[in-house]
Amino acid sequence: MERSNNHNDLATTLAEVRPGPRDAFAEELNERVAAGFPPRSRFDNSPLAGFLAWARAIKPQRLLFAGGTAALATIAIATVVIASGNSTTSDPRPTGGLLSDLAPVEPGESSGSESIPQAAPHLPATSAAGKSSASAESASVEPQIGGPSNDRANSLSFKPESRHREIERSAQIGLLAEPADVAGDSTKIFAAVHDADGIVLHSTTSSGSNAGAIFALLIPSARLGDALATISSIDEVSFRHEATDDITAPTVSAREELEESRARIDTLLAQLAAAEIESEAEAVESELRGERRHAARLRARLANLDRRTTYSRVSVRIASDPSADSGGAWGFDDAIGDAGRILAVAAAVTLVGLAIAAPIALIAFLAWLAHRLWLRTRRERALDA
Amino acid sequence: MHRQGSWPKPPERHVTDPHLARSKGVNETAIDTAAPASADLDFERLYHSSRDDVYAYAAGLLRDQAAAEDVTAAAFERAYRKRSRFDTRKGSARAWLFGIARNAALDELRRRGRHAELSVDPVDAASVPGADEHGSELRLLLADALGGLEARERELIALKFFAGLSNGEIARVIGIGASNVGTRLNRTMDKLREACDGAL
Repeated sequence: MERSNNHNDLATTLAEVRPGPRDAFAEELNERVAAGFPPRSRFDNSPLAGFLAWARAIKPQRLLFAGGTAALATIAIATVVIASGNSTTSDPRPTGGLLSDLAPVEPGESSGSESIPQAAPHLPATSAAGKSSASAESASVEPQIGGPSNDRANSLSFKPESRHREIERSAQIGLLAEPADVAGDSTKIFAAVHDADGIVLHSTTSSGSNAGAIFALLIPSARLGDALATISSIDEVSFRHEATDDITAPTVSAREELEESRARIDTLLAQLAAAEIESEAEAVESELRGERRHAARLRARLANLDRRTTYSRVSVRIASDPSADSGGAWGFDDAIGDAGRILAVAAAVTLVGLAIAAPIALIAFLAWLAHRLWLRTRRERALDA
Repeated sequence: MHRQGSWPKPPERHVTDPHLARSKGVNETAIDTAAPASADLDFERLYHSSRDDVYAYAAGLLRDQAAAEDVTAAAFERAYRKRSRFDTRKGSARAWLFGIARNAALDELRRRGRHAELSVDPVDAASVPGADEHGSELRLLLADALGGLEARERELIALKFFAGLSNGEIARVIGIGASNVGTRLNRTMDKLREACDGAL
């Protein structure tokens, strides 16, 4: 206690030796404060310096509020843009993950990694009755190699380059229809096949709330484009896939083998005519029968290959669309569906935004934290120096 | 043994302008009572009440008049720019201001990369009016003893006796516990006392 009292005189003396500012400095500082610390250098007047000063002056809460508002506005705008894009250019029904909604496939646009070649059919993807159009369409790349001409492939929908190649084509089309329209759509499918001189290999039609139909068709390749266009216009297209397969090699091979077989038969016939001994004639006849069977098999194989290029296999699936069973009027169910889709898109946008922003924000936060720590350490060291 | 808060307050001085209360020697209790409780900081009031204290702290720590003036101006300018970020829940306005002033002073120390040498005596120790011969001698000895302190010790003295901060405010400014502040202050005063006694 005595020691503390001894320090009292020191404390009093310390207060007496307290340094005070010069009057000139105090005056100058008073003026600067009264003027609100005006910029002293040219740099201080620059917009960048102004922005930095403004940013430093903002309260963290306000900064968070402003950032949150900006993020919400971005999400809302992105949602509106993407949702409106989906409703006008693609199938509104989600066919893939959330991200598939973010990248709607335009009609006529390939969803595959390869672009549609010029030889690919340019088929209208728009649907009838003002409904939205097809969402996905793909086609394999058609070979562009020269070769013998082929009139069968000289169709409207495929490029002339395919004439000298033996190309097998196939297509799958999905249609969405109201349950009550499935039967009518099926009839239109039959009519389209008839108009194209095609063949219905198989068909299944069911009615009721889960009404639907499945068709396996053979369409003349020369009229495939027209037929697909007609089928696509029957109802709303949910998907369409087209593929081509080059079967030139097996066709040429079968044709050459057949020619060789025919030549062999001719040779055997000549040998048979020249045979003088009965046993020799029997041996030649036996060989001739075998060669004829071989030639028959080759002809069948060639005919099959020929049929595959002449006709294209087309699968059509009609699925009923319960959400469309409202007579065209936008109702409560539609509203629920639309709200769900909008929420899904908003969630996707948010997720993508977070995936991008979160690591950046984390790195920035860690960098800021490290800078603060470094600065504090350096400042404390200045006292120990 | 010394108890926290038992040091005498700086002597009261004649108050001519209520805005310059602390600058004229009014203790911090009166200022804290008058400080706005809302989040909005009355910067001008804070400036007028703390200008001389900030300068005294900077001069006491840096022992360089020009540097102290620079630090004081920089501290108030930074505080002015950041005034909207002041949060009453995190402490008093003076503690917040001295936190900024301390950063500015340490930046100055760091920039110079050395302990500041006394280029201008912060006070003419022997010229306090009405002081007796013994008092003048003690002031001179004290000024010398302050120069022999480490920067951390000198900072404590400056914050406590030049700036007039309470132990709690000092604790908040330098980031240690209030009781630790009292202990360190007592140790530093012992050191000053020994230096003065040894000189006598």
